[in-house]
Amino acid sequence: MREITYLQGIHEGLQHVLEHDPETVLFGQDVGAFGGAFKLTEGLQARFGEDRVFDTPICESAMLGCAIGMATQGMRPIVEMQFADFITTALHQLLNNAGTRHYRTGNAVPIVVRAPSGGGSGGGPFHSEELETFFCHMPGVKVVYPAFPSDARAALVAAVADPNPVVYMENKTCYRSIKEQVDDGVAPLPLGKAKVRRRGVDATVIAYGAMVHEALRAAVDLQASDGYEVMVVDLRTLKPYDLDTILAATAATGRVLVVSEGWKTCGFAAEISAAITETGFHLLDAPVQRLTAPDVPVPFAATLEARYRPGAADIAAALRQLIEF
Amino acid sequence: MPGMWTLETVQKVEAVDHDVWVQVLRLMVLARKVDEQVIRLCRQGRIRGSSFTGIGQEAISTAVAVASEPDDLFAPCIRNLALHLGRGETPLGIMRQVLARPDGATAGRDGNIHHGRLENGVYAMISHLGAMISVVAGGVMAKRRHGKTSVGVAFVGDGTSSTGDFHEAMNFAAVFKVPVLVIIENNHYAYSTPNSRQFACRHLVDRAVGYGIKGVSADGNNAAEMYVTVRDIMADIRVNPRPVLLEAETMRMRGHGEHDDFKYASEELLLLYRRRDPIKLALRAMKAARLMDDNAFAAMEAEIETEVSAAAKQALAESEPSPDTLDQGVYADA
Ligand SMILES: Cc1ncc(C[n+]2csc(CCOP(=O)(O)OP(=O)(O)O)c2C)c(N)n1
Ligand SMILES: [Mg+2]
Repeated sequence: MREITYLQGIHEGLQHVLEHDPETVLFGQDVGAFGGAFKLTEGLQARFGEDRVFDTPICESAMLGCAIGMATQGMRPIVEMQFADFITTALHQLLNNAGTRHYRTGNAVPIVVRAPSGGGSGGGPFHSEELETFFCHMPGVKVVYPAFPSDARAALVAAVADPNPVVYMENKTCYRSIKEQVDDGVAPLPLGKAKVRRRGVDATVIAYGAMVHEALRAAVDLQASDGYEVMVVDLRTLKPYDLDTILAATAATGRVLVVSEGWKTCGFAAEISAAITETGFHLLDAPVQRLTAPDVPVPFAATLEARYRPGAADIAAALRQLIEF
Repeated sequence: MPGMWTLETVQKVEAVDHDVWVQVLRLMVLARKVDEQVIRLCRQGRIRGSSFTGIGQEAISTAVAVASEPDDLFAPCIRNLALHLGRGETPLGIMRQVLARPDGATAGRDGNIHHGRLENGVYAMISHLGAMISVVAGGVMAKRRHGKTSVGVAFVGDGTSSTGDFHEAMNFAAVFKVPVLVIIENNHYAYSTPNSRQFACRHLVDRAVGYGIKGVSADGNNAAEMYVTVRDIMADIRVNPRPVLLEAETMRMRGHGEHDDFKYASEELLLLYRRRDPIKLALRAMKAARLMDDNAFAAMEAEIETEVSAAAKQALAESEPSPDTLDQGVYADA
């Protein structure tokens, strides 16, 4: 066993697929010799060559279009968006071109779009966005969002193996702060399977990405302060999401808080909340609650962003209210 | 004067092999007859929504299809029926597509011109204009990686040349030296918008300079010129990979779709291009070169008409997809 960071998990996943599948290529802005804006792809071009790992001009739409063309000819392209925020200049390629293609023509489009996501470190309105709702709304597209290094590695391998367009969300604040002991065997993460990260009886938090870690901190704090036992579910795949695990976790406590650092209105947390209410109403002792970012552009100043983004203290407060409902 | 056959064009006609030239004429006529059948079905109210044809622009797609090799890839757009037919789609396939039949290329999940069969090297377009150029570029990059000598051809309109996607893809293909021929079919209008409201450069082909690539102009209604031009470009980029921009001047001879009254069309342009119909021009030149006569042409037309009406009849007799198939096939099976 050895300790790796979340960033290393993604890097090792990339290294694994580049090594094991000659049809994989990785491209994006500055991912080559420079190693990417976060140094996540450092060394990959040197190891696999310029025709497997290469820089592109700044053209998100052409990058995704090119990936669609490659994928439909038997390749497995992985496209890095330098920041998830910039994918909005190419949404039609994902929603309309990749997402509709199998339904319309029967041709599979196995592309992986890496989307460095989320705020918390002063990225401001255009380098912090959490856009899972956009991606999950697209028919034909899958969305994964690992929270831990081993999952990050395994989810990358699974996303590349899947014959559909997969948005691979990766959280920037987790890159170097989240560490885990892993072994060297890389098995693909089963897509669509959530994981219970902590058992509990008083309430359930359903979260994904960086919010899993905030929720785990909140659970520890609440146990220390109030003696409450909080269950934490890490969704890992957002589309398709694991309704069975969500309902089992609902049944275990009867009280559910869905946490997301995305925007509230029509957000992914609303989807989970609705799904629980629709199919598990009889399991609930209290209305499902959402804790999300407000419907505000991601602010820059530390004071503003701290208020904007849900943290462990906010989650603990929301849980206390829910448990005492 | 446009519409006349210059010595140079006649020489081009003669330089082309007899069989190739008959193939070119036949494909243009086939596309015309299939489009006319689509218009009839549309008028009869048998097609959902509007219909979009390539009438008057057949020479461009035809030239590309005839000049292409089996491993080449294509991104056709609105006016490229002849490309589909030239790459192996059948009149029956087209009828099934426009009538949304289960055995059509998109099985009724999409309609009209939004189709293409990858086994023919043809990508099904999405409506979003300009989005397919980079797709065909990526496809060609993959083919080349797999050891093929494929080239790509993307078709766009004058209006499409204004999109950001056009720019991104042109620059991308230039940087990566992808052998794609991007053909702007300048038919003078983008829906109702004339060239004067679409771009401010003198000629769209001038944009090639900005991408650092070769730009070529051709008469899009002159099948001989189109054929020789695209054949030479495709042969060249096949061995010397890089993109080329080709502006083919032509005219859309009907409304944008069958719903469009086309009131905005310039009478002058229509008059000019009625005389410059690509099929008429080709036929006249072929007759002059003794490659075709009236009898042979009448026989060709009759044979095609029989095939096309039989295709329509057969597709009409089939039913639309079962509603129970609505949610099938959104994802490929993992
Ligand atoms: C990105 C985008 N914007 C708008 C439309 C609607 N639209 C469809 S065809 C068309 C005109 C296209 O003109 P041009 O590119 O010149 O092609 P032509 O129809 O003349 O062949 C428009 C505006 C679209 N399909 N895609
Ligand atoms: Mg036009």
